[in-house]
Formats: sequence, structure tokens, C-alpha cells
Amino acid sequence: MQTEYINAFDIVIGVLWRFWPVWVGLILVMGTSFTYKKRLGLYGQLFDSGVGIAGVFICLFWLFTAIFASTISPFDPLAQVSVMKDTLPGAIEPTSKLVYYFGGDKLARDVFSRMVYGSQIVLIIAPAATGFALMVGITLGLPAGYYGGKIDTLLSFLANLVLAFPVILLFYLLVTPGIMDTPIPYAMAGLFFLFPIIFFSVLFWTRYKNRPDRLYILLGITLIVGGWIYTGLVFDKDPLHIVHIDPNQLNIFVAVVFASSPGVFRIVRGLTMDIKTRDYVAAAQTRGESPWYIMLWEILPNARGPLIVDACLRIGYTTILLGTLGYFGLGLAPESPDWGTAIKDASRLLRSFIHPALPPTIALMSFVLGLNLLADSLREQSMKD
Amino acid sequence: MNEAVRDPGKPTNGPTNGPIIEIENLSISFFTRKGEIPAVMDFSCTVMPGEAMGIVGESGCGKSTVSLGIMRDLSNIGKIVGGRIKFQGKDMGELSEEELRAIRGNKIAMIYQEPMASLNPAMKIGQQLMEVPLIHDKVSKEEAHGRALEMVRAVRLPDPERMMRSYPHQLSGGQQQRIVIAMALLSKPALLLLDEPTTALDVTVEAGIVELVKGLGEKFGTSMIFVSHNLGLILETCDRITVMYSGEAVETGKIEDVFDRMRHPYTQGLFRSIPLPGADKNSRPLISIPGQLPLPHERPKGCNFGPRCHHFVEGVCNAAEIPMIPVDGHEGHFSRCVRFNEIDWEALPPGAKKVNEKVEPGAPVLKIQDLKKYYKVGGSEVFGSSEGRVVKANETISFTARESETVAIVGESGCGKSTLAKVLLGLETASSGTVSLANKEIQSTGIEKRGVDTVSSIQMVFQNPFDTLNPSHTVGSQIIRTLEKFKVGKNVAERRKRMLELLDLVKLPRAFETRKPRQLSGGQKQRIGVARAFAGDAKVVVADEPVSALDVSVQAAVTELLMDIQRKNKTTMLFISHDLSVVRYIADRVVVMYLGYIVEQGTTDQIFSPPYHPYTEALLSAIPIADTSVVKKHIVLEGDIPSAMNPPTGCPFQTRCGYKKLVPDNLCETKVPPVKNLGDGHMSLCWLSDDELAKMEPVIKFDKEHAAHEGVPGDAPHGEGPGFAGSPPQRPRGKKASAEADAVGEGVEENDAVLKARRHEVRDETSETGVSKPKDTTRRH
Repeated sequence: MQTEYINAFDIVIGVLWRFWPVWVGLILVMGTSFTYKKRLGLYGQLFDSGVGIAGVFICLFWLFTAIFASTISPFDPLAQVSVMKDTLPGAIEPTSKLVYYFGGDKLARDVFSRMVYGSQIVLIIAPAATGFALMVGITLGLPAGYYGGKIDTLLSFLANLVLAFPVILLFYLLVTPGIMDTPIPYAMAGLFFLFPIIFFSVLFWTRYKNRPDRLYILLGITLIVGGWIYTGLVFDKDPLHIVHIDPNQLNIFVAVVFASSPGVFRIVRGLTMDIKTRDYVAAAQTRGESPWYIMLWEILPNARGPLIVDACLRIGYTTILLGTLGYFGLGLAPESPDWGTAIKDASRLLRSFIHPALPPTIALMSFVLGLNLLADSLREQSMKD
Repeated sequence: MNEAVRDPGKPTNGPTNGPIIEIENLSISFFTRKGEIPAVMDFSCTVMPGEAMGIVGESGCGKSTVSLGIMRDLSNIGKIVGGRIKFQGKDMGELSEEELRAIRGNKIAMIYQEPMASLNPAMKIGQQLMEVPLIHDKVSKEEAHGRALEMVRAVRLPDPERMMRSYPHQLSGGQQQRIVIAMALLSKPALLLLDEPTTALDVTVEAGIVELVKGLGEKFGTSMIFVSHNLGLILETCDRITVMYSGEAVETGKIEDVFDRMRHPYTQGLFRSIPLPGADKNSRPLISIPGQLPLPHERPKGCNFGPRCHHFVEGVCNAAEIPMIPVDGHEGHFSRCVRFNEIDWEALPPGAKKVNEKVEPGAPVLKIQDLKKYYKVGGSEVFGSSEGRVVKANETISFTARESETVAIVGESGCGKSTLAKVLLGLETASSGTVSLANKEIQSTGIEKRGVDTVSSIQMVFQNPFDTLNPSHTVGSQIIRTLEKFKVGKNVAERRKRMLELLDLVKLPRAFETRKPRQLSGGQKQRIGVARAFAGDAKVVVADEPVSALDVSVQAAVTELLMDIQRKNKTTMLFISHDLSVVRYIADRVVVMYLGYIVEQGTTDQIFSPPYHPYTEALLSAIPIADTSVVKKHIVLEGDIPSAMNPPTGCPFQTRCGYKKLVPDNLCETKVPPVKNLGDGHMSLCWLSDDELAKMEPVIKFDKEHAAHEGVPGDAPHGEGPGFAGSPPQRPRGKKASAEADAVGEGVEENDAVLKARRHEVRDETSETGVSKPKDTTRRH
């Protein structure tokens, strides 16, 4: 049977139409942001420059794509329709009469749907891993910068050790089956996921030590929510069966946190060393504040600017890293629709069919570009008067 | 608009006889996100060859913008929106970018505040200096080297050959600034722009630079525009002065005219708020200018100074924009005030405070005995170099501070005053010796181990207002946190109430509770800092240069506030400062420190009158005093302060001391001098014999002749000029709160003295009727 095709114009219109929930979301969010930009502080100032608007637009685009993935994509990303194998963009699937907008890959899956679903994986893992890396980096970087001396020497040495280790090799090691069978990844996950709980507990403890009414509530929330997520992620024993992560994904997660927290550590350490010379830190010391109060409540809030910019860039790096990992076939399941794996799959047949490789590549590129534009614009706006 | 000021007075030694630079009605605006912000409006001035023009004003008044405008070095958002700048007769606006480049750095040179930022850290001094003749005059390398070397000699740097071979970081701040000046002079500029050239330097080093700059006009025929906030410096270096306020020149004229017969209320306000010799915290307190500099986009109609001026008259001052009005009888003296002929320039403003009662100090609160603080400086911790060196930051410090007494600790950077403060506050622990606070030894208890009582009873006011508050928290929450730490109040509501009371105490509106520090001005932030220090009823407050970073008019207000609270709470204040004028005004006793040693201590009178310690004498002589009737003995110290890492042997001051030759047996270089008691607790660390000490003369004297000549001014014919009404101004010398009456030096001519005494009575009457307005600095929001 001959496959039917729609023309290029119809493909464009069709794709734009499929993204309709994203457009609605974008118009709503960007419209309100733009109207009230004067009152939105730094986020509002992003809308003063073209770069900022572009950054916000691209990032929001992918965010909404991830949220509405099931509505946008016409097919199941894993479903194989054997007639559609290696079809060109615009092919019409015979049974449902829906279109393979970007064609089919060598396993006859819809490239468009896979790209849309791939955004979900990236947008969950990259920000979350960056978040954990931030927690680890901040919790270790603050004391290193604040105390200096032996603590700093030790922690900086460890950070340098991790940084000096080739990242790809590290990932190979972490996700090889031999290592995966050992408890090492779980031990590391157990360690890393402990940091946010420690971080928030210390944060509230130092601030509200003398005000038990507030302290117990906040500490309680931290411990219950933290403990719940912790049991779910590390032991996979969530009593409510909501929090769950595949062993594969956990591994990737751990590897990414492990590789990027030394970078955060160094930034936080440097910022801390700078900010601790300020008079308001001395003022806090002279009224007898504890070191951790000073670090978390006096220094950290003033280090937030560079940290936000770094977090944006870091999500981009992590996205690329995930792509690299997927390309090497590390970590995620082979049929996973994430962009890296998709690029790898497509690259094998690049000489005969180029179309399955392009959508995930462009998606990856545009998302990272959007994050970089956002970071650039944030940095610029925060430096202006 | 008004005529540009022309002053043909000075003999010229430049090539042309016309003015070097003529600025006519210059207006500069910055175009930002918030729209056009006028930074300079209608600014005119003329500088003749060899003449020095001073531009003075507070931060944000546009004085630096003028100098950048002359260089056409406004950043991409700044634009000249009106007026002309003529340089040697040529309109700079019509010059091409290339022609401008030829003028910049060649005919006009600029010297900035931070010397290190003006020098390339990766190039040797010699190379950097040689670049100037190489680029501008296209001379040979040898020739350039010769010229550079000559110039390094001319700016009086020691060992010029070695200087040429060193990198900028190997030089001290003073030496760097001399190199920058040398570099500026190498191209033989017709005009030199100096933008706060000595602000980053220590007083004694500053004195050296000032002396150097002063000679430039005569030696090289260079004209100068000297931008500064310090009136004393302007007096020492310039021939004419322009006072700027809120983007406008408000008064311009010869130094003598503006200093002694000022005709603008702002100029008068400035002079009244700086502690000149003769001001006294009890009998003649400073008078601050109420209110705040208006924001550039909130300037009022008419006179910009109107809202803060106590001569303000509705419908006259705010009727229309005011041009520069010539002052009759004074050549080249202009004022931007429509009422200057009506104002009685001697009268004190109605809000001025009456005489304060002198507070008798009580029992000793803080006793420091033989305090020593040594630091070990080594290499890195892990791959450390074998032996660490010891920095002796404090060496045998002993003094006592009593209840409600103000003890000033004076010294330049690196003298150990900040280390002393750290030890007192428990941020560092002492190496040896004792510090007792209310009979409790605290020298070796770090801040973490101190009890709440101890912590709250010794507190600090910090120097930099922009750093003293955490920019991320609201003002209210920062004070409440302090109260929480000091265990004041049982619950949040009580603490909040106390916080609001503290805001009242420092005369800030209660609405500031929810403000973030960036919404506050420098003076307001410093007030919050004061409130925080007094939150736990501190017994001792260490004030580390609390006003040195503030503008002159705000300085007076904050100083007065500090003293008011101190008086009320009977607090002991340790006032750390390098500025002896403020110290003389505020302190009961003074401790002078140099390189970790206390070199002299005694009551304020003892310190400010002979016999001096040689270092104190030099310090006193170095302070620029904005009073034309003061004659100072000129002592310029050679060299720089030695590093504490490598202190000199013997007396710490021996490397720069001018009296060394008077001490036999080379004692100064070999042995640390004994602490000599000069009577009544006046201690001095010096080898000089009593005979030599007795021979010392006072550093600051009032010039009798000047005062006499100034006594009855030949003033303008009355009854003319804009808005004239009322009787002719009788006593135009309104700057001083009658300084001469308690002159440090010789007595004044008799009838003069009688006149002054009478004047003083009159003033007291007027001031008592006035009610002080508490909401001084809050008008901005």
C-alpha cells in the first residue's frame, strides 16, 4: 500500500495547530507578565529586552510542551506502526488518518510525538538534578567559604578531585551494570537526597530557635515532606505510592548531581568569601549570631543573583549532559523518547534518512539556547541600576 | 541666561591669554529606563591659564558629571543636551572624534579617585609613563624614558629609577597617585581635571599630594579643575570655587568671597555643618541642613534648595527658575539665590539647638591594660611554608573609658584601630593583656562564648552605610532580629513595639519598618545602624568612622544624633576616626595610634595643644580646614606608613619623624620610647626631652590680620538687586559660629572680641526660641 503524504505547508500548519495548548498558555502567561512587568521585580525586567523575552518565550514553550505532552502528541511515543517505518515527514497513518508530522523513525514510531514526550524527561530531570546539585553545593560551599582554613582545604580538594575526573568516564562507571548491582548508587542517592532535608532544617532552626511556635511547624513540615520524598526516592518504599523513580533514572540523577555540584560549590564558596567581609556580616557576628545563621540568612540571600544565573546555565548544561548520556545509551531505557536517545537512534541511519535526527536535535538546541538567553538577560538586568 | 564668569585676574603663562576652558550653560542628562534624568543643568564656568577652580558639592550633585562632560567621556547613556564647552577657544562639540582624542590625555588630563584603577597592573610604571610621550609627541624611546624619569622626580618620589622598574602593586596608594599625576603631567596638559584625587588616601599622605598639586599651577602653568567634597582641600588648592547643589552651580566666586562672604544659603549650610575649629559639642553644636538632596526627577520648581532652606519664601523662591545673579561689589561672585540681599547672614536658623549641658563622665566602664594582639601570617594550610611571620596589630594598648565619655581613637589605615575594635567586640581574642568591661574580663572570650548581657552591652556602629544593613532583609526585621538576640521583649509584638520606639529614637518615620535598605539614603541607613547598636541598651558603643562615608550636611545630623542618644543613655562611646576635626568636636579624650602603638593620649585639649607627639603634630597639620582665617604650621611627612608586617625598629614613627635628629644616641632607631607622663593623664610615647617638647608651637592658629581685615567688609551698595527688601546686611561673615572666641592660639584684638561676645549673646537668644524639627531627613519619600 502506498503511504499518503500531506504537503510542507500543511505540515507547518498542522504542527502549529497541535501545539495549541502551548500557545494558549504562552499568551496567558506572557500577556499578564508583560502587563504587570513593573510590579514583578527582576522577572518583570526581563520583558524590557528582546533577549529576555526570547529567553522566557523559549523556556515557557518547552515547559508547556512538557505539561501538555499528552494533548499535543497525536501518537504514543512508544507505539510502533510497522507501515510507517522510515516514512518521510507528513506521512498519513492509514488506520487513524493522523499525520506523522516529522515522519517515522526506524522502529516506525512518530518522531513528532517522541520529541514532545522527550521534553517531559528533560524538563523533569534537568531542573530537579540542578536543584539537588545547588543544595549540595550550597550546603558545602557556605562553610568552606565562611570558615576557610582546614574545612575549606578539605572540601575544595574533594571538589577538585571530582572536577578533575573525566565526566563521561564517571558516567560509564556509574551506570555500568556491575556498579548498578552494588549498593553504591543507592548509597550516593541516599547521601545527596539528605542535603535538602539538612539544609531546610538548619535554615529554620537557626532563624526560629527562640520562637518555638514557628519552629516546630516549619521543622515538622520539612521532616515529613522531606522524609516522605526521601523514602520514595531512595528506598522506593513510598507508603502512598506517588513518589517513584526508575532505578535507571535514579542512577542518571545521582550521576548528574555528583558531576555538577562541585561547580556550584565553587561559586558559592567564592561568593561567601566575598560577602563575609561586608559590615552586615560583622554586625551579625557582634550581636552573637551563630555561624550557620550568618551563612544561611545573611550571606546566602545576597548570593542569590549569581546563583540564579548559574542555575539557568546549569540546567542547560545538564540538558546537554542528558543528551550526551542518551547518545551513549547510558542510563535511560533504550526505547525512552528522550532527545539524546532519539538522536543516537537516528544517527545510525543518518546517511539515508536525516529527518528523524533533526527534531530532537533542534529541540535540545533551542531549549539550551533559551536557557542561556534567559541567564544572559537575568545577568544584564540585575546589573542595571 | 547668565553671563559666564570671567576673571582676568591671574597672570598667565600659557600660550594664549584667553581662558583655557569656557563652559557655557552646560546641561547633561542621562537617559535611563526611567526616562531622562538631568544630572547637570545650566552650568557655567571659566578657567584661566594657571588658575585652579574647585568644584565642591555632595554626592549626586553632578560635580563628577561635569568633569566627565568636559572629557566627553559620558557613558553611552549620558548626553550633553545643552550649552557649550569651549577649550582654548574651540567649541568641543564641533570637534570630530579624532580631534577629541588628540585633546584627551594630551591637552586635558584627568586624575581619578582610585589610583590603582588608573594604572595598568600588568605593565611596569616606566613603560606606562613612557607611553604618554611616545604616543602624543612621537619621540624616541630614550627621550621618552628621560622625560618620564624627570617627571617621576618632579612628583617627588623616592628612588625614581627603581620606581620606573616596579609594577603598580608594588607601590603604596600615595605613590600610585603620584605616578598617576606624573602621567597626567607628562603630556604637559593645559588643563588638569582632578576628581577627588585624595579621597582614597590617608590624611598625612593626602597632605603630601595636596602640596604637590598646589605647586603645579605655578610650576607648569597648568590650569586645574579640582572636584572634591572637602571644602578644606579646595581652600588649600584652588583660586576660585563653584559650589554645586542638585545639578546646578549655586554659587561661584573667589575662594575668599565664597568662604567668608557666602551669598547662598546652601553654602552657608555646608560651612555650618562641618566641624571647624571653634565648634564645640556642648556650647556650639553643629547645625545640619534639614531634609535631603532631592532626587533628580523630583526637583522642585524654582530654587532646588528651597525645600531645605530656612530663608525660603513662598512665591519668591519657587516662582521661576533662578539664574546666577552677580553679587555686587565682589568681582566674579555669583549666587543662584534671589534673596541674598535680604538675608541676615549672621543669624542662626530658627531650628538650631541651644547649648547643651556638659556631661560629667562617671565611673570607668571599659579598662584596657597592656592589650596585645598578634597575628600569625603563614603560607597555605596544607602546603604551608615552614615559618609564619607575626604581625603585631596591637602593642601594649592601655586606656580607660568612663561612663558617658567619648574616647576618640585616631590613626591612619594600618594603625590597629580596627583590630582593637575587633578584640573589644570579641570577634578576635587578645594575645595578652586584659580588657575589662564593667569589671568583667572579656579579652579572651570570643563572641560565641559571651553571654547575652556582655554582647548587648558592647555594640558597634559601622563605617560604610551601604554595607551596614543586609540588603535582603527589611529594616524592621533586622532590628527585631537584634532585639530577639538580645532577649528584649517576650514576644514578637513586644519586640515590634520596641523596634518602632527605636525608629523614633533615631528620628526616622515608623513607615521605614517595611523598607528595604536600598530604598534608604546613606544617612538613613546609618541611623538604622545606630538604632541597632543601641537596641540592647549598650554600655559601650564602638563607632568605627560612623560618618566618614556620609555627605557633609548629613554627617552633622548623624553626629548630633549619636551624641544625643549617648547623652540620654549615658553610654560610653569609642569613636574611631582619622579625621581630627570631627574628633576635636566630639571627643572628651583622644587616643592617637600609630602602627599598633598608642603614641599619645590625653584629654582633647591636651592633644590639640602643644606639647604634641610628633605624629599628632603632623596629623593636625595635615587636616584641611575650611577656614580662611586659620593659619597652619606646615608639616608634610615623608614616605608612607610602614607595613605592620615589617615594622621599623625602635620607635614606630622614627622612619617619618622630623624630630629624630634632636634625640641623642640614635635612641629612636634602637629602642621603643617609654610612655612619658606629661601631667594630668597626658601620655606620650616619645624620646624627645621636656625642653624640646616645651618649644613646640601650636599647629593651628587664627590669623589676626586676616580676622581684622575681614571684620568690617566693604560690601555691596544696598537697595538694588533682585528681590531686595529690608535693611542692609550688616555682618556677612556667617560661616562660623564665632570661632575666634575660644581661639586656640592668641587672643583677638579687644574691641573685636567685645563685638563677638555680644554677637554671641544675640545668637543664643534666637536659638532658644527655635523648636527643633525631628523629622529632618525624612522628606524624600
